[in-house]
Amino acid sequence: MAELELRELHLAFGGLKVLDGVSFALESGELLALIGPNGAGKTSVLNCICGIYRPTGGEVFFRGAHITGARPHAVARLGIARTFQHGELLPHLSVLDNLLVGRHTRLTTSFIGQALFLPAARAEERAQREAAERILEFVELERYRHQPVGTLGFGRQKIVGFARALALEPKVLLLDEPSAGLNREEREDLARHILRIKHELGIAMVWVEHDMQMVADLADRLYVLNYGVPLAAGVPDSVLKDPRVIEAYLGGARA
Amino acid sequence: MSLPRASGYFRTRYDEDFRLLDTRTQRAAFGLFALCALALPFVASPFVLDLANQVLLAVVGAVALMLLTGYAGQISLGHAGLLAAGAYTTGILFKELGAPWWVTLPCAAAVGALLGVIFGLPSLRLRGLYLAVSTLALHFIVIYLGNEYETKRGFSTGVVIDAPIVDARAWYAALFAAAAVAVLLALNLLRTKTGRAWHAIRGKEAVAEALGINIPAYKLLAFVISATMTSVAGCLFAYYRGFVSAEAFSLFLTIQYVAMVIIGGMGSILGAVLGAIFVTLFPYAIEYLVASVPTPAAWANSLFAVNYAAFGLVMIVFLLYEPAGLVGIWRRLQDYFLLWPFKRKPLAASQ
Repeated sequence: MAELELRELHLAFGGLKVLDGVSFALESGELLALIGPNGAGKTSVLNCICGIYRPTGGEVFFRGAHITGARPHAVARLGIARTFQHGELLPHLSVLDNLLVGRHTRLTTSFIGQALFLPAARAEERAQREAAERILEFVELERYRHQPVGTLGFGRQKIVGFARALALEPKVLLLDEPSAGLNREEREDLARHILRIKHELGIAMVWVEHDMQMVADLADRLYVLNYGVPLAAGVPDSVLKDPRVIEAYLGGARA
Repeated sequence: MSLPRASGYFRTRYDEDFRLLDTRTQRAAFGLFALCALALPFVASPFVLDLANQVLLAVVGAVALMLLTGYAGQISLGHAGLLAAGAYTTGILFKELGAPWWVTLPCAAAVGALLGVIFGLPSLRLRGLYLAVSTLALHFIVIYLGNEYETKRGFSTGVVIDAPIVDARAWYAALFAAAAVAVLLALNLLRTKTGRAWHAIRGKEAVAEALGINIPAYKLLAFVISATMTSVAGCLFAYYRGFVSAEAFSLFLTIQYVAMVIIGGMGSILGAVLGAIFVTLFPYAIEYLVASVPTPAAWANSLFAVNYAAFGLVMIVFLLYEPAGLVGIWRRLQDYFLLWPFKRKPLAASQ
């Protein structure tokens, strides 16, 4: 069974068609790149999956369960985490605290337990810090753990955003242009993290990306959108040679 | 948030991450504070003790508002209304049923919690100023109901209550305990799941939701906690004054609480405490200043006006020049002594 399946997804804001019949299935452990020119509707697809937008038509399935139109927090609780294009972290909190915010769905102490900081709450806080530490180690941010996120460079902040999504211990990870705004070195780090997530954690990913080189090197499969319409799908080599894809990106040949 | 302290504090256990008193200096300072607080009722004059009691009452209310506004990011102008609700619940139960304090206090808390839900419901749809106006409406409703009760039952000058405590020192102990409980509950919530969820909601709601935080639930929770604490403060206020009347809960009282949160420093419980001290003592300081000008008699009539104007001025000065509030000043002082003889912070981020 596919981890995530989109069937004939349609989304329109008034008369503006944003998505028009987007369908794909994300297999377990797969790295699927979602590409397309600016305004193709890539982020909208992610927003439809994680419940920020309610699609006007079509269905979303997560491990066979119907999740179309579910509230975002419910979708996150099921095990679909996402990153944001601009990080969207809490700048005044430390890296560790940002990760702990991401552990929200994993915390179970009762409200009374928290208010009185009963032994259960203490034990849980300790355990969550251990878990957060493992993630910090995974993305190599240990030395910044107590630093306010706002004092970190943009590249590191994006990795923190990445780590925060991992902190949910998701089954499916949605990445929204993780490489945007990163320099070459940071991109290489990012590529390494993505591959490690795939191979070591086995998390299936939908990856919205503009960097064609990265996509061609890393992705298992591409899905190309143009103005909300699916254009092509398949392994990177064939898709990137598809004349329709080249036309969408570079414009048609002049007559 | 201040940077990690200069050196010498290497953590070796996770528990050290979330203990309330982190460094030796903090523990020493807290010990000193506890000693002073303990000694105060034995050395203070009745006037000073009354001031201390007023401050302690204000601390409970200010911490409650800080949780809601400074952490969960929800603006409320209903604070005086909630204090009034607690005070009237106490007054009415006492007058009508002769209820003792151990009945009125939980009842005030329950009324506060209920009002918290009602106050909080608009926050699910409204934000910022619109939310502020909707909470303001509730303030007037509560005050109206209180007034109605007073006039219908013939207590047009207010409801007189017999307090279970008369001795000022005993009051000090009781109010200190209440303030300590409020501060401790707040700090506990803030270092666990709930506090982080509020923080995330204040940051950006769409992001908080994507992290699995149930926004309506946590917003309502913030309103309920804040309103319950405030209502309990209202109950204590009623007993302390021995008197409940609508005039005591004017809109200006709400402004004063908002001022405590702003002047103290948004997003800090220490800020709420400092703000409560500052705003409570401010009118007395002004009164003292006016009394010490060369011609005090000429100013005496306009004491109220001077008070309001000075209060407004202080608010503006803080908003313009010290948005981080008293806590910001406190942190800068700390840094000054920590870094001396250097003036600048160490490299903020080792990028």
